[in-house]
Amino acid sequence: MSEQEVRERLKTHGYNELPTQTLTWLQVLARQFKNPIFIILIACAIVAGLYSEPKQSIIILSMIALSVILGFYNEFKAEKIVVDLRRNVSIKAVVTRDGKPSEIDAKLLVPGDLVSVYVGDIVPADLRTVECKNLQTNEAVLTGESFPIEKTSDGLNLQQPIPHQLMNYQFMGTVIVNGSGKGVVVSTGKNTEFGAISKSLARAHPETEFQKGVRQYGNMLLTLTVALAVGIFGLNAIIGRSPIDSLLFALAVAIGLVPELMPAIVTISLSQGAQRMAKAHVVVKRLVSIEDFGNMDVLCTDKTGTLTEGRIILNDCQSIRGKEDPRVLTYSMLCNAAVVGEKISGNPMDVAIWQHAIEKGAREDARNYTKVDELPFDYQRRMMSVVVRNNGEFTLITKGAPESILSKCTYVETGSEEPIDTTLHLSINDKFLNLSHLGYRVIAVAYKNVDEKTSYSAEDETDLTLLGFLTFTDPPKKDATSAVANLNEMGVNTKILTGDNELVARKICDDLNLPVKRVIGGSELTQMSSTEIKAAVEESTIFARITPEQKLDIIKALKANGHVVGFMGDGVNDAPALYEADVGISVDTAVDVSKDAADIVLLDKDLLVLANGITEGRKIFGNTTKYILMGTSSNFGNMFSAAAASIFLPFLPMLPMQILFMNLLYDVANMTLPTDNVDEEYTKWPKRWDIGFVRKYTLFFGPFSSLYDFLTFGIMLFIFGTFAAANLSPTSPEFLKFASLFQSGWFVESFWTEVLVMFVIRTRRIPFLSSRPGKWLTVLTLSCIAFGTILPFTILGDFLGFTALPAEYWVLLILMVATYLLLVDAGKVFFYKICKF
Amino acid sequence: MLNLDLFAWWAVTISGGIAFLILVSIYLYTKSRVIRRESHKSAAGTRLGKDFIFVWVLIGLLVFYIVSVNIGSSMVFAAGNIIVEAMLIAYLIMNRREKSAETVRPRSQ
Repeated sequence: MSEQEVRERLKTHGYNELPTQTLTWLQVLARQFKNPIFIILIACAIVAGLYSEPKQSIIILSMIALSVILGFYNEFKAEKIVVDLRRNVSIKAVVTRDGKPSEIDAKLLVPGDLVSVYVGDIVPADLRTVECKNLQTNEAVLTGESFPIEKTSDGLNLQQPIPHQLMNYQFMGTVIVNGSGKGVVVSTGKNTEFGAISKSLARAHPETEFQKGVRQYGNMLLTLTVALAVGIFGLNAIIGRSPIDSLLFALAVAIGLVPELMPAIVTISLSQGAQRMAKAHVVVKRLVSIEDFGNMDVLCTDKTGTLTEGRIILNDCQSIRGKEDPRVLTYSMLCNAAVVGEKISGNPMDVAIWQHAIEKGAREDARNYTKVDELPFDYQRRMMSVVVRNNGEFTLITKGAPESILSKCTYVETGSEEPIDTTLHLSINDKFLNLSHLGYRVIAVAYKNVDEKTSYSAEDETDLTLLGFLTFTDPPKKDATSAVANLNEMGVNTKILTGDNELVARKICDDLNLPVKRVIGGSELTQMSSTEIKAAVEESTIFARITPEQKLDIIKALKANGHVVGFMGDGVNDAPALYEADVGISVDTAVDVSKDAADIVLLDKDLLVLANGITEGRKIFGNTTKYILMGTSSNFGNMFSAAAASIFLPFLPMLPMQILFMNLLYDVANMTLPTDNVDEEYTKWPKRWDIGFVRKYTLFFGPFSSLYDFLTFGIMLFIFGTFAAANLSPTSPEFLKFASLFQSGWFVESFWTEVLVMFVIRTRRIPFLSSRPGKWLTVLTLSCIAFGTILPFTILGDFLGFTALPAEYWVLLILMVATYLLLVDAGKVFFYKICKF
Repeated sequence: MLNLDLFAWWAVTISGGIAFLILVSIYLYTKSRVIRRESHKSAAGTRLGKDFIFVWVLIGLLVFYIVSVNIGSSMVFAAGNIIVEAMLIAYLIMNRREKSAETVRPRSQ
């Protein structure tokens, strides 16, 4: 192809590269506003700005800004870590243009280019093989199959082939593990098989369970707030208060109901959790996924490279009698195409043989033999042979697919040479099949003594004596068994989704002590309706020979069944499932497209960090839930009391500015909630976001707060005599004094109960005695209580309209708050007996 | 002297608050019994004394608060609170003894 032609094709087809997903700062910023709580607050700020003092509007906007800045900073920082993590490797390709071979950047390849590939190369585009010599590729990244695939340049007669079947194609991203070849580029970039999968990721990330929960919670708050605000405004207007005063009071109550800092608290919790996880070499790309990581109850995982090492090892070398035979190893070292130097390279199985021999100290056993000739492997014969000389004797050693080798054997070595009759043939064949059924890849070794010749051919590969066989496997990672056991103990069911066959998948389950309930193959899954798939995913442990689309269907079905689903994978074929799952987990050695699609990337091979991550997620979920439950119930109670009191009191129970200030102080007290301790039993099992539970909690605990607010009203009115204001003119100094005393008394009581109840509600155990709160939470909360207590005596208190409270009040307050906390604790015992979470 | 109108308003409001809380408690209790029955778990009969001790506490508190505020004495209010606290502590100790440790929710397969 001429340079001119290349330029034109480059214009038509574009660069041979895949678009990667990176979020801009603007997108991260925009994401912060996708929260109904902000919508409520912004609406309140606008109304307050238009109809009241701008001071109130500024306070609300400051609350929004604080939350957005905190959220943006933490999330953008996490995104940057991932960008840094991505290794920007430039792949080179050997291409023949104008008849001359040259090495170019693979992104400049165009359809029609003739590309040469060698052992160790990553295939740079989708190629139709036109020439090959013992060419084998590892297509695990695309299909999940961990053993090499033999390639051919011959034409194939297939209708609607799938990648597994295209033996004359080499696919972008796969690795050449043996031989060499040439291929014509048929597609580049996003048009390749690799690209088609990554293209499916160019859509909005599905909403996680946690995000759904926050959205439901926001909607519930919105309904409550609007109903209460409209009700208060209407009632106050009816009883004759000025419409502007009524509106402002209604707005302040509405804001009082909104947990303004919830997005910030959630983001701080998540980012602190992410930082702790980063110390364990787990990078959290999408913060929101941490909560789902903790709540996940099903983990679907790819097999190769995630549960297994993703490399082949020699498991055993045995005689036909099933006993370990060192000669089988020696002969397979001799009949071997691996290049052995400082580093061993070549076909993974040949490499595995040498590695095994080195580990066993058997490397020297092959030294006494001299290689005379070699008949390389080809996929028609499915075997390779060498002729070696030892002490003047010549031996032909053949190694290859068991059925091919067996067909060339007339004897079997069982101590002596025994002829192979039909019965023995069947028995040996059964043995090979059994090993295959156990999930091993089997290779047979045979030999015969030959005469010295100048050259040997495939015709010499007859009348062989079967010596034994080698079994290979892709071993599970060292800690995979404990990791799966840990997950099970934590209430997470593990399911294997693999492109590999059922036998290999069963073998890995056996190795991991993972009981197999049912196995479903890709072809079986194709026949199923969506209802059948939903039922099948519940009872199956293994899904074998499945395509990336089917992985996606399985994840969707599990999600539709109400599970929080995690998916762990490292190949291109895993990317769509990683994207669809509530939590996509990938590993650092994964392909970029897979890391792009994942929410969480494990930098270490150690799978035990999964359990740590889940516990971390559960702690974060626990602390977020505490904030929501405490905030909603106590805020709801306080604001309900304010609404009710505004109807019968001659003055407002609390000024709008005082409500806003109390809210801000309460949120400051909550800032260290993400660092709070979480009871051990809370992290044992996955929890689900349950909006019904939040509703029940609010309905039950909200009235406690109201009850003590009403009691305070009674004390302030009838023990401290502020009821006298009812007979005074609203503009008289006495009226204002009574009103201020009442408001100060309620402000302090309301703030004490709202903040201190945190210590009771944060645990189901006995507060302080059997569950200690976090150090920083205790310090900050008590500091805020101290600040709120002295506030009425300060200039700031004066500015906010508070007045000093009498000493007698403080005695009653302490007793009343103590009763309140004990009553809430008793209520907690009653509530958790009848409501499960 | 009490302003009777305001006191009546206040008494109605606090009684309404406690009535609401009692109704919610009964609703949640009844609902949990129905769920238990549907999931074929053994459901013992309702024990008005023991199961509703919490509700009795609330009613007792209501009476005490209305009376003490009506009297307008901070001493009576303080003393009453101390007695209620002692009763609540006794209730909590007895209850926690019965349920010595938090149980883990059985895993749903």
